[in-house]
Amino acid sequence: MPLEKEGKYMETSKATLKREQNKTSLILHLKDKDYEIILTDDNPNNIKGAFNGLLKELKNGLFQFELNDEKEDLFHNISMEYLTQLNSELKSVFDELKDYNLLKIEKSA
Amino acid sequence: MKIDIHVHTKKVKSGDAPTRNIDASRFSEIIRSTDVKILAITNHNHFDLNQFEEFESSELDGCLLWPGIELDILQDGKRSHLLVIVNPKNKNDFKKAVDSILNGKNPESFTITLEETVQKFDALDCIYVAHYFVKKPSLSDEDIELLTSLTPNPKRILKEATNSISAGIYISHGHNTVYGSDVHNWDSYIKQSKDLPELRLPVQSFEQFCLLLEKDEATINTLLDRKVKENIELNAFGVAELIRLDIYDDINILFGSKGTGKTELLKALSKHYNLKGHKTKVYKSSNLELEEVFDLKGKSFDGILQDYGIDNCEEEIQFIKEVTEEEVTSLSKYLLHFSREETNRISQKLKIKDITKLDEKQSNRKLAELSGILKKFQTFSDYVNENPRLYDFIEQDLIDDLIDVLDRILSSLISKTENSLIDSKTIVLVNHIVEVFQSEISKKTGIPKKPSKTGFSEYASNRIAIEKAVNKIIDSLNEKIDPQIEYVGNLGEEKGDLYCQTNLAVQDGVISSTDYSPVRKHNKRPLKDFAKGIKSISKYIYTTELFEKIAELNENESIDSIFSLDDLLLFNRHFSLNGNNYEPSTGESSMILLHRELSENKDIYLIDEPEKSLGNDYINDVIVPLLKEKALLGKKVIIATHDANIAVRTLPYNSIYRLHETGRYLTFAGNPFSNKLKCINGEYEDLDWKEISMKTLEGGRNAFGERGKIYGN
Repeated sequence: MPLEKEGKYMETSKATLKREQNKTSLILHLKDKDYEIILTDDNPNNIKGAFNGLLKELKNGLFQFELNDEKEDLFHNISMEYLTQLNSELKSVFDELKDYNLLKIEKSA
Repeated sequence: MKIDIHVHTKKVKSGDAPTRNIDASRFSEIIRSTDVKILAITNHNHFDLNQFEEFESSELDGCLLWPGIELDILQDGKRSHLLVIVNPKNKNDFKKAVDSILNGKNPESFTITLEETVQKFDALDCIYVAHYFVKKPSLSDEDIELLTSLTPNPKRILKEATNSISAGIYISHGHNTVYGSDVHNWDSYIKQSKDLPELRLPVQSFEQFCLLLEKDEATINTLLDRKVKENIELNAFGVAELIRLDIYDDINILFGSKGTGKTELLKALSKHYNLKGHKTKVYKSSNLELEEVFDLKGKSFDGILQDYGIDNCEEEIQFIKEVTEEEVTSLSKYLLHFSREETNRISQKLKIKDITKLDEKQSNRKLAELSGILKKFQTFSDYVNENPRLYDFIEQDLIDDLIDVLDRILSSLISKTENSLIDSKTIVLVNHIVEVFQSEISKKTGIPKKPSKTGFSEYASNRIAIEKAVNKIIDSLNEKIDPQIEYVGNLGEEKGDLYCQTNLAVQDGVISSTDYSPVRKHNKRPLKDFAKGIKSISKYIYTTELFEKIAELNENESIDSIFSLDDLLLFNRHFSLNGNNYEPSTGESSMILLHRELSENKDIYLIDEPEKSLGNDYINDVIVPLLKEKALLGKKVIIATHDANIAVRTLPYNSIYRLHETGRYLTFAGNPFSNKLKCINGEYEDLDWKEISMKTLEGGRNAFGERGKIYGN
């Protein structure tokens, strides 16, 4: 039986771009928490911190991100591509969690 | 082999219980249920020849019946009872003799003097058994003296006790004492018969028994020769003193003062038997410690978790020790790519480069799972198809059905596996093509290649693998192993059974008890830290501190020698009594070790001073009966002892005595039945077995049943 959050009920979360004078960030908005990926700073630890949060959230159900941004600049393009790839990888990791019985929703079902 | 010289089969006198009456079929049934092989019918002032013959002709499983009578003796105005048991060949004359003395008299009031008794019965080849001391009404010492003077063979006079503390007929022990059941109720005879005296020599006739009473050497040797024995030459003390001994498939006692070479003889016997292919060793209780026998310190314990159904997580531990962080894709790569405008027209048309790479891992997992299932079904199918023995136990149509179902399952699984393989390879190829196009376009246009993934998938998979491994290790750490409990022995009625309890536990980071020690060579502290480290890692799986925790684990001083959870296995073993820890005393340890030695099923037992640290009661109540049991089973039991309870109360077929006198060592062999010890090379006169035993053995006087002991005073 497909999980509620796996298929047609999969949540789509908002992603936005925060443009500041010296810094532009991709903000991933999840229900309880926002995760910030700084696009203008090559800092793997910043990305890993966000990924840890996403991985924990995935245990509660599959979700994907949709970019809410009107300004078609470099950061918009990067974010569009980044989110396309990330959404695909979120699905892949969710399937892995499911296969290894590590989902919280499955355990409580 | 039990003997009962005092049996009633009829209520004759008013004082007799009606339950003494018994018919032939019931008599036969009861006797066949006992180990009684000699039985004398001795009714009060009465002998029923018809009944005797009826009993004789019934099935008695080899039990000899002897005719007899219990007479009321009136001597000097005092009444007493005397059993007269005659040679069964003379049963008809015995009947006539009984009839002539009774001559119509009422058995209730009948009495006879000792003189008349001897006059009437002595010619019939008889034995007299006098009620004596506490066996009432008893003959006085004067009466017995008179009886002795009247009969030409005083050895035919036995004294009847009420029971036997001496547990056997001590023919050689001076008192010629015996006792019988004096049965009152045949319902309880089977139970009562268990306490009857035991006849060590396999007596097969009345005549043999009488000769035994007279210690007739030829008779004794004839009886002894029925027992299997082996003549062995031993070189225990050098070629100058070669010793040739008979060793019986029974109890053989080695005795003599300290330093006369008993232990050397035992060792020489062990060597002799081992050369012949037996596996023997001399049991010496003082050489053994119960603690070592049960390996309380676990020196030879090498258990592994798999023995208890617990995964040792070897792969998982290796993985955790070696795992490193997966890197994520640098954002600068995206910036580099997107900051250059794509002007190349062909490149613009090649949309293949924009395809997002497909997930290879899921299809690989599916393929691996399917392949695993297929392999297991294939193995089972091969087993069914290649094992013709199955048809011996399972109907052919059932096996045919099974093969048909298996074939269909296999066919379906093969098809699905093929499809899964194609899917998996297709994804790999697509991803490869995308990669190739991206690289080539990048080369042609000079625009840095677009990253094909964020790195989240690899990063997350790595953490998932760590979580899986850590969870599995923690599950194993939390497993409990049931204690193993082994019976050690009995510490007597008051204390009860002693057990050896082995407790095993996996160090889970919590165990601090000093009672536990690692099974493998490890210090305790690092093991505890390791378990705590694993548990700590589990709390940091999805945090940036995860690899700091893994690094801390790798700093454990024993990390290089911890390969699996087998290294964390802890051991504790102790004795327990009634569920509580117990440390047996030296005496209790000796008791148990000897009992265990004798409980082992061997053909040859070589035991050196079993009495060491043991109490007389334990020797009498437990060890002597066990030794006798071994003898009955035809085992060779060779015991060097200073203890009379063992040397005498086992009534050994063979007593070997070592004497050191005037600078030379002599060896004697004999037995309690002949009451002689003969020098094996004829260099010394015969010795009196009883006298030497009493003099040499500890507790000799008591073991010989001196008056007080035998009669329970």
